[in-house]
Amino acid sequence: MNIISVGVNHKTAPIEIRERISLSEVQNKEFITGLISGGLAHEAMVLSTCNRTELYVVPAMHEVTGEYLKDYIISFRDARKDVRPEHFFSRFYCGTARHLFEVSSAIDSLILGEGQILGQVKEAYRIAAEVQAAGILITRLCHTAFSVAKKVKTRTKIMEGAVSVSYAAVELAQKIFSNLSMKKILLVGAGETGELAAKHMFAKNARNIVITNRTQSKAEALAEELGTNRVLPFESYKEHLHEFDIIITAVSTKDYIITEAEMHGAMQKRRLKPVIILDLGLPRNADPEIGKLQNMFLKDIDALKHIIDKNLERRSLELPKVHSIIDEELVAFGQWINTLKVRPTIVDLQSKFIEIKEKELERYRYKVSEEELRRMEHLTDRIMKKILHHPIKMLKAPISTSDNMPSRVDLVRNVFDLEEPNQSH
Amino acid sequence: MNNIILDNTPLFILTQVVSMLYIVTTILYGAHFFKDSQSAKKYKQPALVLTVLTHLVYLGLLTSIAGYRIGYSTFNIMTMVALTLTTTYFFIEFTTKSDKTGFFVIAFATGAELISSIMTAQTSSTSPSFTGIGMGVHLIAAIFGFSAIAIAGLYSFLYLLLFRQIQRNRFELLFQRLPNLEVLERLIMHAVAFGFIFLSVTLFAGMVEQNATGGVVNISDPKLVTLGLIWLIYGTSIFIRPLLGWDIKHMAYLLIFLFVFITLLITLMAVFSPTFHSISL
Repeated sequence: MNIISVGVNHKTAPIEIRERISLSEVQNKEFITGLISGGLAHEAMVLSTCNRTELYVVPAMHEVTGEYLKDYIISFRDARKDVRPEHFFSRFYCGTARHLFEVSSAIDSLILGEGQILGQVKEAYRIAAEVQAAGILITRLCHTAFSVAKKVKTRTKIMEGAVSVSYAAVELAQKIFSNLSMKKILLVGAGETGELAAKHMFAKNARNIVITNRTQSKAEALAEELGTNRVLPFESYKEHLHEFDIIITAVSTKDYIITEAEMHGAMQKRRLKPVIILDLGLPRNADPEIGKLQNMFLKDIDALKHIIDKNLERRSLELPKVHSIIDEELVAFGQWINTLKVRPTIVDLQSKFIEIKEKELERYRYKVSEEELRRMEHLTDRIMKKILHHPIKMLKAPISTSDNMPSRVDLVRNVFDLEEPNQSH
Repeated sequence: MNNIILDNTPLFILTQVVSMLYIVTTILYGAHFFKDSQSAKKYKQPALVLTVLTHLVYLGLLTSIAGYRIGYSTFNIMTMVALTLTTTYFFIEFTTKSDKTGFFVIAFATGAELISSIMTAQTSSTSPSFTGIGMGVHLIAAIFGFSAIAIAGLYSFLYLLLFRQIQRNRFELLFQRLPNLEVLERLIMHAVAFGFIFLSVTLFAGMVEQNATGGVVNISDPKLVTLGLIWLIYGTSIFIRPLLGWDIKHMAYLLIFLFVFITLLITLMAVFSPTFHSISL
């Protein structure tokens, strides 16, 4: 029994190729249903995100190899012109399990430790289960992957620290102010960047967020979305600069929208109480001279990227811990796979002993009383269990370097004269 | 040899144990802060509790020689400072659930405890102990006052350190591990307020006791002048912010200066005058 994974991701192929191979939910269902109904696979799952499209397949015939699956998906997406097998990676058996564990714990992601991938793996499994393509192997593989991801999240710091500019801005604000709910925040610019920063602030309990934008309606829409309903006209926000502890600017403009003189006046009015200006605009929105004012923290995108770099550096230091968790789970998963291999032999062994027991008891059925027969049955059950205990234990034991699973199975089958097992899934 | 530590085996052992416990606790807090050691994180709080309890037992044994009254020698005050600093930090950690400043406070307390134990071992006789409730209040308030000054100074140092790290875009270890600027500011202001209260009590109780024992309060006494000056600066610093619009950064410089100044003063007195009040005894 094998499990194969093939796919394209940010490490193996450029974005144009990833786009050509990616599958929507409908295509995903169609694809795995085709694999199962076509008798090519016992089980199948497709993980398709913006950075990767990966197949996890338990093949139903020897012909279904990694190369076969690469070709199959290229044909399915009608991408033979653009996509070549070299754009794919392929893994087998434990390599597949390791890969999915690494993907789920976000160490294979473009941004180390990003938080979305686990949800995407869960979604891929849900789709596979919905079309009944997730059997015992993929179900166990996915649940182990979820457990690995959970352990990685709780036992390591791989997901700690901001890795986006807007979130780094919030992290910095929290290093200056203890309680964002008590702070007055001004957002200048209701574009995508500003919106993201405001939402991160909101998530950290900031409620006093005032928005100003050249197009008033856009500011009002964002204010309504955030539930603050506080908007300042763009023409007059500068008169209120002194009221704010945190100012986030994210507008597209050639000139500085906040000058040193304006901020100097604002600082005098607020009696030098600290202010953070988070300049997320490119080109910059705030005059860099502002940073020289007393108790002023002016941070632009470059400064915030320092935070991101440091956080990523710290995350990468956690990699050995993550790998150790994965190794641990991989061993347990491998042992479980081995028990799958010996399961038919164990069943055959138990059936054989039950058959012998029943035949022998049958001979005495009319020679002894019912009570005596019941006692004999009880006694033979106990003897049978004791005899079978060691062979079953030996079959289930982890494989050491000195032996291998087929030889153990053969030994038991020969000793107890068991018939050849069926070669089915 | 007539020495309170060397002549008393249990006290001698306990002195070593207390010093060792302080060192171990500092190492554990340091390993957690700088190396993020998980075993240090696990054992640092039990070590802190054990250190405080052992120190209390040690003080009990030390003062039992003079009828459970603490002598007002510098080394006795140093060990009390170590205990009050550690105890104060213990409450800060348990009430705020923030264990990020422990290394800095406990390291200072360890320094004070080590100096105290070395000096105690070199002292040939027991130091005079206080009599009367007024002197007791004076001494205890002075110890708590100095502990508050130390905490204000240490937190001011951490505040400036973090402030500079943020301004220079150095988002490294201190940025990650220290509490935010606002929390540090709150801790500084609380320490200053408590420091001022305790210094006021020290000054008042000292003068009352001097009068009660028939002595004359000499306002040109350097000790009194120094204490008065510190009390005045501390008191002013509470009101200096709202009145003059001083920011916490400037206050932090002042508080560090006061902390260093007072520590040096105590050290000098320890070297040149083994007891604070030897002139009047």
